[in-house]
Amino acid sequence: MNLSLKRFSFQAMGSYCEIQIYNESRINAKRIIRKLASEVRRLEQKYSRYRSDSLVAEINHSAGNKLGIKIDTETKALFDHALNCFEQSKGLFDITTGILNRIWDFQSPQVPKQAEIDRLLPLIGFQKLSWRKSRLIMPANMEIDFGGIVKEYAADAAAKLARRLEVQHGLVNLGGDFAVIGAQPKNQPWSVGVADPNKPDNMMAKIELLDGGLASSGDYERSFVHAGKRYSHILNPKTGWPCTGLRAVSVAANLCTVAGSLATIAMLKDEKAGLDWIRESGLSAVAMTSDGRIEGNRLKNVKSEALE
Amino acid sequence: MATNPSPSLIALSATALALPGITSADAPPTQSTISYKFSNYAEDDLSRSEAPFGDLERYDIDVHQFQFITPIDSSFSLHIDANYESLTGASPWFTSKGVNGDPIVNLSGASGIRDRRSEFSIGTKYYLFNGSVGGNIGYSEEDDYRSSYFGLTGERHFNNEMTTVSLGFSYSSDAIFPTDAEVFNRVISEDKRSTSAIISVSQIISQVSSFQIALSLTKQSGFLSDPYKLKDIRPDNRTQIALTNSYRHFFINANAAWHVNYRYYHDDFGISSHTFDMRWYQNLRQSIQLVPSVRFYSQSAASFFTNVDNFVKPADEYQSSDHRLSAFGAFSGGLSFVANLGSWTATLTAERYVSNDSYSAYKVSQPSTALVRYNRISVGLDYTF
Repeated sequence: MNLSLKRFSFQAMGSYCEIQIYNESRINAKRIIRKLASEVRRLEQKYSRYRSDSLVAEINHSAGNKLGIKIDTETKALFDHALNCFEQSKGLFDITTGILNRIWDFQSPQVPKQAEIDRLLPLIGFQKLSWRKSRLIMPANMEIDFGGIVKEYAADAAAKLARRLEVQHGLVNLGGDFAVIGAQPKNQPWSVGVADPNKPDNMMAKIELLDGGLASSGDYERSFVHAGKRYSHILNPKTGWPCTGLRAVSVAANLCTVAGSLATIAMLKDEKAGLDWIRESGLSAVAMTSDGRIEGNRLKNVKSEALE
Repeated sequence: MATNPSPSLIALSATALALPGITSADAPPTQSTISYKFSNYAEDDLSRSEAPFGDLERYDIDVHQFQFITPIDSSFSLHIDANYESLTGASPWFTSKGVNGDPIVNLSGASGIRDRRSEFSIGTKYYLFNGSVGGNIGYSEEDDYRSSYFGLTGERHFNNEMTTVSLGFSYSSDAIFPTDAEVFNRVISEDKRSTSAIISVSQIISQVSSFQIALSLTKQSGFLSDPYKLKDIRPDNRTQIALTNSYRHFFINANAAWHVNYRYYHDDFGISSHTFDMRWYQNLRQSIQLVPSVRFYSQSAASFFTNVDNFVKPADEYQSSDHRLSAFGAFSGGLSFVANLGSWTATLTAERYVSNDSYSAYKVSQPSTALVRYNRISVGLDYTF
């Protein structure tokens, strides 16, 4: 067998995305990659909170409607996973937190007034959503946002589709969320770089993946420093203020979706609890603390190396 | 160092694995497929010793099959099927004794039979969280036969998708109105109904093997005789039961899959049968597959089968000389060649089938002289977009 590597990069989900697959035929590889990219775009179109024609926009539009809105199987499964994240994080990972983006604008370094935050806090709380069979009933003015789940899910879904199309070696990278399809040929691991939140073009660590996924959460692009204090774009649903724990977390797991949920929860916890959380998970992970230290978990086993 | 996964990790994996894009369970097609298949089924002609008079040419059937499958949204799919068959040749009209006392076959009409069959069906499948439900309706029409049918299916996965239970139900209502009924003193118009239920359980045994068992029960009622035979009187009710077992195994080193099936069948006409078949799916390169297959079939005769029609027997006593109701055995072998060329898949299949009373695993008291041998060749093309 004569396998060659085919790469394709594109813009989706507000990020730089890249798909790499090994295939005998370049034409076949191209055709497969096109299908994977269109699966990613399908999920972007369905779940983007920036598009007025997305399902998420439609769901948010239904807030306050007593009859609610009918939710399809795939979206219901995302809600189930979101509920699981909410419970496992004791309410920190909450897909109704996004409403705070109305007052927290990370493009301009401006801290909202506490009164503004207090006005929005009653509109946050996953437990306030109710279900009548497959209909979701959302209280007036609330919003949901799958931002913390869908990019990771799209990476896994593209990898799954690739397997279904008989790809044996491949990698899907959606803006730093990775899902790999098997190892590279000859059982060589994929070497995935974890970006440094201080200098996003540099790597702070390298993690080698034989299968599964890797996801990162952190103050990469959307955060600002105001009056000497760092404001992360990851907001605590209970206080309405940016979380103050770890700077960045990357986790490798069986699925990119699982890795992403674990990483986001680690970010939402305070620093020590976040480090304990990833340690307890037993997974390979790397984190940067607020003072810039790099902490790793099980990195030896995956031949990762922290870079100077 | 803790190596056990934390309860949180296990919990989060459970809901992530259930996401439709990730789960390996049934998922609606993400692409549309158009398929076309042409098959030619040609029975060998009879020899002069088997049929001293009339036509020797038996059935020759051309079949054109079109299929279109498309997703409608993320949980619905639509399936449309259209078939067209054209048939020429002759079928056994009656059997009698030849000069040496052996049974001989008399084929229908000197000009033979010409018939066309058109069929159209439409179905949909709705994919649920851990299973699917589906339904279809269809209609088929021939010069002398009309059939309307519907079916319902449901499927559910258990045990982390290692086990799948399926249930199916179908019903058809058919009308028969033989051609030239008055000329040949045939029935003018009759009808029949058929109701069927099936339950099956599939179990994944390991990464490379799975087993499936299915039980089906069919009840037919109405006119079950052959209106074109000179004398053919069968009961108005028939109950059929079949038990099918399938085992599949993938051989990693050989890059090939082995499918083996055994089916036991019994009905209250008195027919029992065993079917044993095997297929070997050999992947040659990433895009080429070769599939040799063999099959053995044997059945016992219906209690009222006769190889020489008795024209003096009272009209309320059952009798039929239809070779399909006799005791016989059959061997068939085939070879398929499948090539994947980008969005196109091409399939070429050739099959040879030979039936004979001497191959029977059952006792043959009255051998039929009309048993068939045929060749089937088919060419198929699928386009996915």
